[in-house]
Amino acid sequence: MKAEQEPFLQARAVRAGYSGREVLRGIDLEVRRGEVLSVAGPNGSGKSTLLRAVTGLLPLHGGEVRIGGTPLGDLSAKERARRCAVQPQVEAPMFDYTVGQFVLLGRHPHRPPLAAATAQDRDAASRAMEETDLAGFGERSIRSLSTGEWQRTLLARALAQEAPLLLLDEPAAHLDPGHRFVVHTLLRSLAREQNRAVLCVSHDLNLAAEFSDRMIIMTQGRVQAAGTPEEVLTEPNLREVFRCEALRVAPNPFTGRPGTFFAP
Amino acid sequence: MNALTRLCLLAAASLAVFVAAVCVGPTHLLDLPRCFELLRTGAATPELERASLVLWELRLPRVLLAAAAGANLALGGVLLQAIFRNPLAEPYLLGLSSGGALGAVAALAAGATSVTWPALAGSLALAAIVLLFCRRRIAADLPSLLLVGVALGALAQAFTTAIILRFDPGALRSILFWLMGSFAGRGWTEVWMLLPAALVGGLAIWLLHRPLDLLALGGESAHHLGVRVPLLQTAGIALAAVLAALTVAACGTIGFVGLMAPHLTRKLVGAPHGISVPGSMLVGATLTVGADLAARTLLAGTELPVGVVTGALGCLFFLALVAGKK
Repeated sequence: MKAEQEPFLQARAVRAGYSGREVLRGIDLEVRRGEVLSVAGPNGSGKSTLLRAVTGLLPLHGGEVRIGGTPLGDLSAKERARRCAVQPQVEAPMFDYTVGQFVLLGRHPHRPPLAAATAQDRDAASRAMEETDLAGFGERSIRSLSTGEWQRTLLARALAQEAPLLLLDEPAAHLDPGHRFVVHTLLRSLAREQNRAVLCVSHDLNLAAEFSDRMIIMTQGRVQAAGTPEEVLTEPNLREVFRCEALRVAPNPFTGRPGTFFAP
Repeated sequence: MNALTRLCLLAAASLAVFVAAVCVGPTHLLDLPRCFELLRTGAATPELERASLVLWELRLPRVLLAAAAGANLALGGVLLQAIFRNPLAEPYLLGLSSGGALGAVAALAAGATSVTWPALAGSLALAAIVLLFCRRRIAADLPSLLLVGVALGALAQAFTTAIILRFDPGALRSILFWLMGSFAGRGWTEVWMLLPAALVGGLAIWLLHRPLDLLALGGESAHHLGVRVPLLQTAGIALAAVLAALTVAACGTIGFVGLMAPHLTRKLVGAPHGISVPGSMLVGATLTVGADLAARTLLAGTELPVGVVTGALGCLFFLALVAGKK
């Protein structure tokens, strides 16, 4: 599928941080519809802060963020949520909802205040649950889920938002290899078949190499390298960013994509 | 059984408790043979006039006041538990009762006869200080908001104690009774203060039920789903403060209802706020009306402060909750 000319998410020279401490020191970033962009980098390099800054959770110290061509500050809260859905890395369930009720909460930005859920809302929720392999979980309590099921429930809620831009913070962190594969295949098909823009923060460089169209590696609040997985995942780049001489790169024998290995 | 059916059953049970509370007391108002007798003869006997007086001037305002107070406290608990994502959050944790008590005691020391308005001023002043203290940091720092409330509440309590010690023993007893919470000696004035607040407040909070569902997911997730988080948090805390301040002013400190009612409701009818907001109002009202009924009938010839009964209930409730978890 052809990517649009205008990137759906644009961040220019974004600087942001917490009370006096600047974490992002001028980040440029673009995600187009139809592509998956993976963001990798060591702990504390600013990946989660980047997600907070481009979604308006953190005030920008400088730079500009546009979603769907509109500056972030000009979007109402609901309009922003219709354009951009986020799967958080962690979220602790507070009250005892069923999985079905919980995923339906993702429809909030599409529902007028006090309106009951429409057939369209219920369809979107059940489609999101099918896509995340949660069909049949509708009546289960969210407190009864395993960590991996809970993570897929969070993804389902973000999918139910039906936003063109999807931001995911380690969507596969707690998943077994089978479900990790399912989730990443899903992300790629969301981009290719549903023409969404997908940004995925991931520590799994091999999965990122297999499933993303472009990659960014961040370090100390800056973009260290950006480009295709082949351009980004090189031994010099990885050794510098992760400060680990044992990291080696070799092509995946089955796909030819760059694979990262330890050679202690 | 769906949630709406369970809510209707809950409403029926609450109504039964309210009717029982109106009828039971030193003057029993539910005496069917006598009612039929009255209907047949239509005579206005002194006995009937006395019963009518008890009904209109004592029982009915008292039960309505207890119900409104319970509903207000429960609404505060629902709001604060969703906002703070803390199952122990309740209106009095923000120091509201201590502020109200300080206002009331200070007014009594100055020779005032009514404590309602000074208590209201005290609770609202304390809530305002807590909110001003944290106005820039509510979203980022909810736990410190609770800490500020606890700290200011402790300060207000210290002042209250200092003032109380200057009273003579006779006045001391009535002050302690007020501090422990009671529906005795109140009338329609207090009912007209609390009942509209409960109904309007309940409607306002119910209208916010979906944003509250989202807020209970956590501030960041609510933001991503399109909720204006700082606005909802500030409005919710302010609303809970006003409801609790009115309640403290009218009835003194009635602990644990704001804490227990939302928990019980989520178990009885479910967690989504569309159903748990009206449910909590009913459960809170039933708890206070039932506790007040117990407070005035358990010991013959004397009346307990209702706060003592709700405190005992609260203790049992939490022990049962812990035992059930194991």
